[in-house]
Amino acid sequence: MDVVFNQVFAGLSFASILLIIALGLAIIYGTMGVINLAHGEFVMLGAYATWALQSFAGIGVVTALPLVFVAVAAVGWIIEKGIVQWLYHRPLDTILATWGIGIILQQAIRMGVGAESKFVRGPDWLSGNIEIGTLVMSNYRIFVIVFSVAVLTGTWLLMTRTEFGMKLRAVIQNRGISECYGIEAKRVYSVTFAYGAGLAGIAGALITPLFSTIPTMGTGLVVDAFLVVIAGGLGSLVGTAAAAMLIGEVTALFSIVINDTLGRIAVLAGIILLIRFRPRGLFPADTRR
Amino acid sequence: MEHLSASNLYSYYGKSPVLQGVSFDLKPGEFLSVLGRNGVGKTTLLKSIMGLTDSCRGELKFGQTDLLKCSTPQRSLQGIGYIPQGREIIPRFTVRENILMGTFARADGKRDIPDYLFDMFPILREFISRRGGDLSGGQQQQLAIARALAMDPKILILDEPTEGIQPNIVKQIEDAIITLNRERGLGIILVEQNVPFARAASDRFLVLDKGRVVLSGTSSELTDSVVEEHLTF
Repeated sequence: MDVVFNQVFAGLSFASILLIIALGLAIIYGTMGVINLAHGEFVMLGAYATWALQSFAGIGVVTALPLVFVAVAAVGWIIEKGIVQWLYHRPLDTILATWGIGIILQQAIRMGVGAESKFVRGPDWLSGNIEIGTLVMSNYRIFVIVFSVAVLTGTWLLMTRTEFGMKLRAVIQNRGISECYGIEAKRVYSVTFAYGAGLAGIAGALITPLFSTIPTMGTGLVVDAFLVVIAGGLGSLVGTAAAAMLIGEVTALFSIVINDTLGRIAVLAGIILLIRFRPRGLFPADTRR
Repeated sequence: MEHLSASNLYSYYGKSPVLQGVSFDLKPGEFLSVLGRNGVGKTTLLKSIMGLTDSCRGELKFGQTDLLKCSTPQRSLQGIGYIPQGREIIPRFTVRENILMGTFARADGKRDIPDYLFDMFPILREFISRRGGDLSGGQQQQLAIARALAMDPKILILDEPTEGIQPNIVKQIEDAIITLNRERGLGIILVEQNVPFARAASDRFLVLDKGRVVLSGTSSELTDSVVEEHLTF
């Protein structure tokens, strides 16, 4: 039983990171219809930015979060302005282009920083554990869970309570008429892409004390994030959150009963079944376009 | 007040020119009706004013501003309120959010919704928190007009605002359009199939056929023989 509780907790902290990655992916897809295959590399850039800030400037993981967000958002903004914005009317080509961007980013890090794994120290003030009976929860993982809930809430507020969010929702539903009412759709797209990239960067920063920082670290994470987006239903923040929890937990729990590889297979089979019976995910938004 | 004028305007979808050398002129506070059979380019004319076609050549000016050099959002900020065919309100926005969206095109950046909108269309006050997509066609049309008015426009361009709308609301909408022109001094370009209304409401009219202006004049010149020749099938 102890193993189960500890795995549930580990699953929860992994799900939290997955949630932040999937949120960025879902916002970019939901707004522009772009399947961003470079998203995993944005996570990786976030992790390397955190490593660089810690090793060269002595800045801790938590302090680095806002800096990493801004830095990766800036990279996303440049990529949107330079490449993606020219391809909005060719959705299939955006897949190819973002995949290429991902490869370039990965290789750039491999050549510039090196292929070997980098170590990032977790913050000292979050180093201990909280123990309840036999359940051992590391303070850092608790911080990750709380922080991801804050990111989800912040994103929800941004979408529903701000003028930018309203413009974004208008553009999603009808770009043409939104432009007839003074909304610069191109600007909305750039900011949205940058925001999604920034979220991926934050996820990369949060994950550094838990995972090894290597150039290919994003690839596996982005696959899980795609599963979350598909299972959760497009355009739904609630769906994304629920699916992230589900996939994080199921992965964690399966790995107790059977080994990791079989656990993955079981998760994938589960999602295939889910999509068979709910093709638009758990909580689909009522309409798009 | 600005003057909207087009001269020798060509407008394209892809490579095919839908408007071919259209010229017209809208003085401040004037009411112009655009008539013609289906598929002659009436909607395209309005879309070209907003910059929604693929490309345009010729001249299109609003006051001193060259509209052909402006993006669609910049054109709206000049004070051109567009009420498209099919209304195109945002279905998942509430009535309030739909009207508020109109204020995004205000040049002064204010975000207040003028009260007179609700006196003109009381149903919108009653349904202020409903979703736009849940309204009836006629209510959506009133909402689309209110949204355009919320931007405090100088001119309104309307594309068949009474098409497919229940008769009791048609009258309300027609009265509102006339009031806006006569009492609030808004310039209006109206694409319309209903000749009697166009004749009663407008100062001038133009008839399009195959992308060209084939006839224009004052509304008293919109006689039955004109209708017979250009507008009946």
